[in-house]
This record gives sequence, structure tokens and C-alpha cells, in this order.
Amino acid sequence: MALLQISEPGMSTAPHEHRLAAGIDLGTTNSLVAAVRSGEASTLADEKGEHLLPSVVRYLPDGRVVVGSEAKAVEVTDLNNTISSAKRLLGRGIDDIKTLAGRLPYEFADSDSQVPKIHTVAGDISAIEVSAEILKTLKARAENTLGGDLKGVVITVPAYFDDAQRQATKDAARLADLTVYRLLNEPTAAAVAYGLDQDEDFDEKIIAVYDLGGGTFDISILRLNRGVFEVLATGGDSALGGDDFDHIIAEWILQQQGEHASNDPQKLREVLVEARRVKEALSLSDTVNVSINDWSDTFTAEQFAELAEPLVKKTLFACRRALRDADIDKDEVMDVVMVGGSTRMPIIRERVGEFFARPPLVDIDPDKVVAVGAAIQADLLAGNKPDTEMLLLDVIPLSLGLETYGGLVEKVIARNTTIPITRAQEFTTFKDSQNAMTIHVLQGERETVEENRSLAKFTLRDIPPMVAGAARIKVTFQVDADGLLNVTAEEETTGAKSSIEVKPSYGLSDTEIETMITDSMVNAKADMEARKLREQQVEADRTIEALDSAMQSDADTLLSDDERNVLLKAREALVLAKESANTDSIKDAIKAMETAAEFYVARRMDGNIRTAMAGQNIDKFKE
Amino acid sequence: MPLDFKQNFFELFSLPVQYSLDKQLLAKNFRTLQTEYHPDRFANGNEQERRIAVQSTGYINEANETLKSPRLRARYLLTLHQVDFDDERDTTHDMHFLMDQMEKREALESAAQSADPLDAVDTIAKQVKQEQDEIEAAFAKHLAEKNLVEAKEAVLKMKFYERLANEVKSLQEKLEDEIFA
Repeated sequence: MALLQISEPGMSTAPHEHRLAAGIDLGTTNSLVAAVRSGEASTLADEKGEHLLPSVVRYLPDGRVVVGSEAKAVEVTDLNNTISSAKRLLGRGIDDIKTLAGRLPYEFADSDSQVPKIHTVAGDISAIEVSAEILKTLKARAENTLGGDLKGVVITVPAYFDDAQRQATKDAARLADLTVYRLLNEPTAAAVAYGLDQDEDFDEKIIAVYDLGGGTFDISILRLNRGVFEVLATGGDSALGGDDFDHIIAEWILQQQGEHASNDPQKLREVLVEARRVKEALSLSDTVNVSINDWSDTFTAEQFAELAEPLVKKTLFACRRALRDADIDKDEVMDVVMVGGSTRMPIIRERVGEFFARPPLVDIDPDKVVAVGAAIQADLLAGNKPDTEMLLLDVIPLSLGLETYGGLVEKVIARNTTIPITRAQEFTTFKDSQNAMTIHVLQGERETVEENRSLAKFTLRDIPPMVAGAARIKVTFQVDADGLLNVTAEEETTGAKSSIEVKPSYGLSDTEIETMITDSMVNAKADMEARKLREQQVEADRTIEALDSAMQSDADTLLSDDERNVLLKAREALVLAKESANTDSIKDAIKAMETAAEFYVARRMDGNIRTAMAGQNIDKFKE
Repeated sequence: MPLDFKQNFFELFSLPVQYSLDKQLLAKNFRTLQTEYHPDRFANGNEQERRIAVQSTGYINEANETLKSPRLRARYLLTLHQVDFDDERDTTHDMHFLMDQMEKREALESAAQSADPLDAVDTIAKQVKQEQDEIEAAFAKHLAEKNLVEAKEAVLKMKFYERLANEVKSLQEKLEDEIFA
């Protein structure tokens, strides 16, 4: 605490310190970190000036981890150890992976854990650990840029992320040693970035957030009401993105070249790279020259529009559906926010504008807008803007319920309920002296257990013996502001309480997280020890070299045979110690050798002095 | 000031304890309470403060959701009058009503097969909405007359209408999707 505070005239001394906070957009394809600096929110660049960090992590045999473009560059050549799109796996169970299989090129390891792990040279890795590496990289970038430790962060997640996926995101943050102020829905973050809640002219407004990324499409309908943001509905397609637009151009190129499908992966890659360039060039001009090697042709925006029509229509269909889910008419939508690099395509802007009958908002870089919104919210939650009234209320994206008779699901909390929320439901026993009850927690909109996501299953035991229907079992659902669920059950009539905390089935258990944290600390310790060993080995080499070169120059004149043997023995002991790879014995051997050589060093110094003085004399004489 | 959990949902929002609801006042007072108690206000607070914030807003949200829904509001008013509900077992035994509900479901199915399904379903939707309003009015009357048994019966019937209305809605959506796809 400063004893004396000095402030410029006219500036107040801040009653609280400015807490460093950042917003993180943890994306499927790219991730970003942003912060509010001097009142302005902007994304932070790495040392090369890049803002986008490709969400790609490569694991090396020695345990080193490479994150970002360097990892992405070798993705094709080191496929098994380079993990991209980990976000698609976050919070997913083994069964989900099977349905995704074929679209994911990884080798999944058999494990006891509920969490699927990818087999790499550095061991079996979960999507949570991969995401944690990305977060660590962004954390380091933010702390370097801002010059201090981050007090807390806001991490964005898709609005439709279920409990398990949100929990997994938080677990990743915990592994990366980040304090999460809040998980924020991506569309809400985009709306915050545009300050759409600040519009004084309207008490309430409806906005749509159209988010077309590299590999995913999301549409969200939000209601803004004096700083209160409510997600009314979300929809989209998790397998539709900008990459699909590259593919349709690539197919066109192959067709023009007279090849319907190429089996040559090298060639296919060339064509895809050119297709992507053409797509991006079409953002600036209506006609683009296409050329690969000695083949060339022209491609027009009109041709592109025609080929892309089915993809565009698919996104608009999802928009229509989301509007209906929200019970909103198209003309009630007052702003349309564009998010994701693929919304730079003029055809997308045009058609979305037509659909909603208003020009979409494109002023903020669509790649950065989510991170910027998250940064604004993080700054607010850090307490750096005590006067701001903004309050972001989220709703739960999917209904939560319990399994009842006949494999049916009884909804306890309906989707789009404002969170946090606590809701209790009472159940009773259906057999005399029933002493246990299984509680199966599910998430989803469907009626049967199989069609919903199983979040947790646990048994309440020690119910006192009673006739059927006499016991009163209260099951309480508590959803926090991040959309994370906690379920407790207790038997009420006897006052005997027995409650249990639920973690989603597809999340990591606390023990697993602890192990990972310990492992990473053990690894850090191992790294430090390896470094110490290397240092001592280098030191040993230097000592041996010094002795060798000394003996070579003057051992004959300065040492007796016995003395020379003593030194050579010490040298041999040091060589052996060095090969033992034991830091302490190397250290001891170096010390022993130095002690043994003390007399020799002294003699050499005497000799040197004599030589030096002699030299000086000669020099002086020469003068 | 800590939230007083002893207040009933109406008192929490400074509303009169009655079925008829001023939705705008509810929305306004809901936002005021959220602004004061939301966990985001305690992002830098200690664990206890954050836990209390989650519990407080949990209570506020639960109260808001309950009062916003006509059926839940009706049910809640009855619990304030010491009327018990057993959600697993309670149901109406009005055979005439149950038969009518079954007929409506069948009508819905045949409407989907008719020449102009959207129009046919819309007609049923209007009828359902009208009867829903009638039941709500009946509830308000029974409650005012302290006729709690009849009032509870009305609440149980509201649940049937709620399910029916949901079915009508999802059928409308399905039909629209088929037309536009």
C-alpha cells in the first residue's frame, strides 16, 4: 500500500486498484484474447503481431507442447499428435465420439475415464487439456501485454453449450490456472461489443446474431432490455461453415479441369488453397482470375452466388426456425450482428440483409467482435467500472429434468429459464420400506430418456423404512450464473438429510482434475531437474576441457608423474559421474576434481605471473 | 441488504397477492432486484458472498418464472392457502373433461391429414386458447370465493391445456417446416 498518493491535477485518486482482466474467445478454429486498455476494448497480438491464435495444439515426444500457427503448419504431416477443433470434443462422452468418428482423424485411447482421450506421442490427452494449452498461451500473451497477473477472465461459449460442455470449459480454465469471472454466451458478447444495450431510445429491443465461422454456424435471437440480455432462442448447424464455401469453389475448379474428384491429396490441397484465395478475393471484386500451375480461368461473384445458394439457404432456414422458437416475427428484429470471418463474404451480407430487411452490423471485425465483448464484460466484473449498470442475464439453453416411470423425462427447469435458478421437486417412494432411490438427471427437450443427454445418475440411500408414498424426497436443482448444475436430494419427513453433489457424467471428476494439476506440477519439477542436470553436464565438460588444455600446455613442466595421476583419476571419476546422469554426483565430482587441481591451478597462476612479469619486462625493455 | 427469503413471491416484487398480474411492474421490479443481487455484482467477492448471490438470484428468478406463468401463479396462490399438490399423482377425475381432451387430440391428428392442414390446426389452436382463458377466469373466480377445491381442479386442468397447447404449437412448426423446406 502506497503511503503517499500523487495524482495529476483534476484526476481523482482511484479508490481501488485497476484489476487486470481479459476476455477470451475460445473458438473451434481460432482463439483470441482481448482487454480494455485506456477505456478501449481491443484484441491483443502476439509478438509477431498476430491476433488470431489457431486453436491447434501439437504434442512432441519430449512432452513439449506447441500451440497456434506453428502447430497448424504441421497439422497434415503430424496428424496423430496435432489436435485441432478440440472444442467439438469438449464435454463429450465416449458415445458422442463414436457418432463424430470418421470426421475426426484421431486415435482415441481406451480409458477408464468418462472423458475420451486422444492418443499422442506425449500420452493420452483430453480435449480439456488441449483447450487448457490454448488458454495458457492466451493467458501468457495477455499478461505479457498488460504487464501483470490476470485477476480474472470471461470466456465465451456457444449459447447452445450444455452443462457438460460448460463444465469442461471451466475445467480447462482451472487447468490453465485462470479465475473465471463468468462464462458468457458468444452472441451476448457480440451484442455487448456493439453496445446494443446502450440504446436509450428503446426500452426493449430484439436482435439477431448471425455467426458463420470456419466450421460452424450459429444463429441466436436475443432480447435486450436496459442492460439485461436474454437469449430467446438459438439454432444453427455444427457442420456448416466457411470451409464448405471453399469446397464448392474447389469442386468447380476440378470440374473445369475435367476431373470430378481428385484422389491425389497434394493436388486437392493445392486446389483448396486456390479456392480459398478466390473466395476471399471475391469480397473485393466481382471477377477473379483462377489459376493453378498452367491452368487458368475466371470465376465471377454471380457463379459463386449460384453455387453457394444451397449453403446460404440452409443458414437462412435456421434463422427462420430460431425466430419461430423465440416467438418473434422477422420485422421485430431491430439489429443483426455479424460474427465470424465467413460473414465477410458479400453474398452472406446481402442475403442476410434481405432476409431481415435491414443491413447487418459489420463495423467491428467479425473475427474479433466476440473477444471484444468478453473483454468489456471482464473489465466490468473486475470492478473497474463501478458506475455501469449493465447486467447480463442468461437463460439456460436446454431443459433439465429427471427420469420418471417408463423411461420418461419430467422437466424440472424448462429451457430459456433465467439463471441462476434454484428449483425443488418432491418425490416419494413407491414400495413399502423402500430404502433407496435412484435419481437420473437429464438435459434436453425430448420426452424419453434415450433421446436426452444423461448428465448424472446417483442413488439416495438410507431412506428410513416407511410405507409406500410416505417418504418425501426433495430433489433440488441449482443452476449458477454460468449455467452449471448442482443437484441435491434429501429425505425430509424424518429430518434425515442425505444429499449428494452431481458432476456431469461427461466431465472430469475432481480427482482427475487434481491429478492433471499435480501431473503438470510434477512435469514442471521434472523439467526443472532435467535443466539442472544439463547445466551440471555442461559444467563437467567445461571443467574437463579446461584441465585437458592446461595439461596439454604445461603438465610436463609443472607436474610430477604422481601428481599427474591424481589429476587423471579425478578426471576419470568426473567422466563417469557425468555419464551417470545424476546431478548431485556430477556436482560432487566437479568439486572433487577442482579440489584435486587446486595446487596445479596455483602453480599455473604463479607461472603465468612470472611469464606476465617477464613479458612486461621485455616489453619495457623494448621501449 | 440481504434478501429476505421469508417474503412470498408477490411480496418479493411488491405486488398484491392476487391472480391478476401487472406484468410490466413485475418486469421492472425483477430487474431492480437482479441489479442488486446478481452474482456478477460479486465477481470479486468472497465465496460466501458469491454463494449468497447465487441463492438470492435463484430465489428471485424462481419467483419471476412462477408468477409469469398463469398456471404456476395459480398453483402458487393455492399453496399460500395451504393447498397441497402432489405433482406425481394429482390429476383431474372429471371424466367429461378428460374425454374432451382426448377428442381434441384426435382432432389435431386428423387436422394434420386434412387438405389444408395449417388452416385446420390454426382453428383448433384458437379454440384451445379460448378455453384456456376460460379456465383461468374460472380459477380467479373460485379463488376469490375461497372455493379452494374447485380452484385446485382448475389448476389441474390448466396443465392439460398447457400440454395440448404445446402439441398444437409443435404440430404447427412441423407443418411450416414441411412447406418451407
